[in-house]
Amino acid sequence: MSRQALSALTRGTVRGVRKETPDTFTLLLDLGDRRTPADFMPGQFNMLYVFGVGEVPISVASFRGEELLMHTVRSVGTVTNLLTRLRVGENLGVRGPFGRGWPIAEAEGKQLLVIAGGLGLPPLRPVIEEAVAKPGRFAEVKVLYGARTPADLIFTDEYSGWQAADGCNLLLTVDRGGGDWKGNVGVVTTLFPKAGIDPGRAIAFVCGPELMLKFTILELMKMGVPAGRIFISLERNMSCASGTCGHCQLGPFLICRDGPVFSYTKVRDFFPREGV
Amino acid sequence: MHFAGAKGSISGLILNLQRRGFTVVGPSLSEGVVRLRELKGARDLASGVVDVQGSGSYALGGESSFLFASVNGPDSPKKYLHPAEVELSKFVDKGNGVELVSVFHSDRKYAFFGIRPCDLRGVEVMDRTMLMPGFEDPVYSTFRDDSIFIVVNCTRAGENCFCASMGTGPAAESGYDVAITELPENLLFSIPESNMGLFQGIELRAATEEELREGEEMVQHAREKMGRRISENDPARQMCAALDSKVWGKVSEKCLACGNCTMVCPTCFCNTIVDRTDLKDGSASRIRVWDSCLSKDFVYSAGGNPRQQRTARYRQFVMHKFAYWPDEFGTYGCVGCGRCITWCPVGIDITDTVNSVLKDQQGAAKSVEARPDV
Repeated sequence: MSRQALSALTRGTVRGVRKETPDTFTLLLDLGDRRTPADFMPGQFNMLYVFGVGEVPISVASFRGEELLMHTVRSVGTVTNLLTRLRVGENLGVRGPFGRGWPIAEAEGKQLLVIAGGLGLPPLRPVIEEAVAKPGRFAEVKVLYGARTPADLIFTDEYSGWQAADGCNLLLTVDRGGGDWKGNVGVVTTLFPKAGIDPGRAIAFVCGPELMLKFTILELMKMGVPAGRIFISLERNMSCASGTCGHCQLGPFLICRDGPVFSYTKVRDFFPREGV
Repeated sequence: MHFAGAKGSISGLILNLQRRGFTVVGPSLSEGVVRLRELKGARDLASGVVDVQGSGSYALGGESSFLFASVNGPDSPKKYLHPAEVELSKFVDKGNGVELVSVFHSDRKYAFFGIRPCDLRGVEVMDRTMLMPGFEDPVYSTFRDDSIFIVVNCTRAGENCFCASMGTGPAAESGYDVAITELPENLLFSIPESNMGLFQGIELRAATEEELREGEEMVQHAREKMGRRISENDPARQMCAALDSKVWGKVSEKCLACGNCTMVCPTCFCNTIVDRTDLKDGSASRIRVWDSCLSKDFVYSAGGNPRQQRTARYRQFVMHKFAYWPDEFGTYGCVGCGRCITWCPVGIDITDTVNSVLKDQQGAAKSVEARPDV
């Protein structure tokens, strides 16, 4: 796996900006070194650099078949706030890709559960697109996605395509309904009884806030999905993304180097665990 | 091969190293503390300086006829191999996009002269992280690749030393370029064949059996006099199981989370990359500075702060050395140098912490055994 040096940086030119929710937006980027989304594996991440300010780790949301690199960002701090101001034609720095992605080959022929909470969806989008592009690669795909409110749901334009794909099923939920929302209300695990999960042949790819991960893992295991078939993507503060700054240490693992995607079996002694 | 030489021979050795292009770094007195600094010559060495260290204290006391009389000061080779501040790269915005101006580069090569065996092991520990295949750090590897290590075996144990129980000293077993044992009258040199050239023009003779025995006895004496130790030989598994020990809370009540321990630790590598901008030329430099897992915001991210509590951060510091590093690399992250004990402003003793955690853990295990129905 090729890695970009700490001092290197690729110029990314913004070709499109899409507002997902009031605080979340998607950047479509063209890379100066001619790399395409095919050079970034689902589940990997890049460091996006705002000149003179700093970098943030953001997961790769694009699918290998697409032309532009895609990053979906929620504006929560200095760097991400500045990223929201980028307009078409402007530049930013891109360093990556980093980390190990989703074990897609392992999911072949299985019932793939794609479980996302909030901004946990972008790193799973290329997995879903993979299923859409190659029907039959997985026995079945269940996308279970939860957000805080209906207004916080992202990638809404793509749902019909996902739903229409062969063997693919999308279930949505929100923590708080309201408006004309007629769908499920409750945390993402409340979708489990309705999803037709087959613990014997299910494999789960899960990404979301730590609390959501914790309860999703608990519920899946309670249903009989073995720990070895639960894969989670973890997020921590990152500075170097190259395994040398220590910020993303979780027990004996560095999330940027050994993750961000882990088999739950591998990290269960240290996650979820308070203060580790 | 083992040789003996006069104490004065180190002048020639330092000169030879300089002629070969090395920046020679060794123990040198600065403002009442023995620091690792560049040596212009043997005169800059802290010869005869004796240090007295305690929990949270450092002082100089008395004189010695020995060249290498002090043990570790606050600096380790980390200061040079993984500098506290280094510019990784520099960019400039000329209006039509950001251009890369420069990346880190250095031709400097260091000879670490008179460092102790624990520090040599400390470098080897840091290698695991900084030179991991595929993840080699550009700064560390640049300096490390060209460094050589002239190690001095310890014949006096410092008050805070516990290398004997970590298996990292008081004598260097391997990995050195030259190892020196200082006897009262002269110096013993252990020199691999390939490094004999460093002694060009220096008068050496084969060491006698008696001299070698004397050297070994002096090292053994240091080993026996070492006051501090970790109570278990290989405590990693027990430590790993002790995340919930109540000892963490008790010890960290004293901790100020100042990060001194991590700064002086020869194996702590944590850092942060910051941007420094210059209005004059419109440039931004990406600067890497040391950071500490004791800092409150070290792991803060949009998702929250997983180590909000000081107890969690202190536990991270100790567990990284005694549980996580062994799990990750099969080697301990602590080399028993004792610096974190000396430079802790409130005198927290890491050997006390680890031994208390182990004791608490053994107590907990016993109480479970005593209740077979549990």
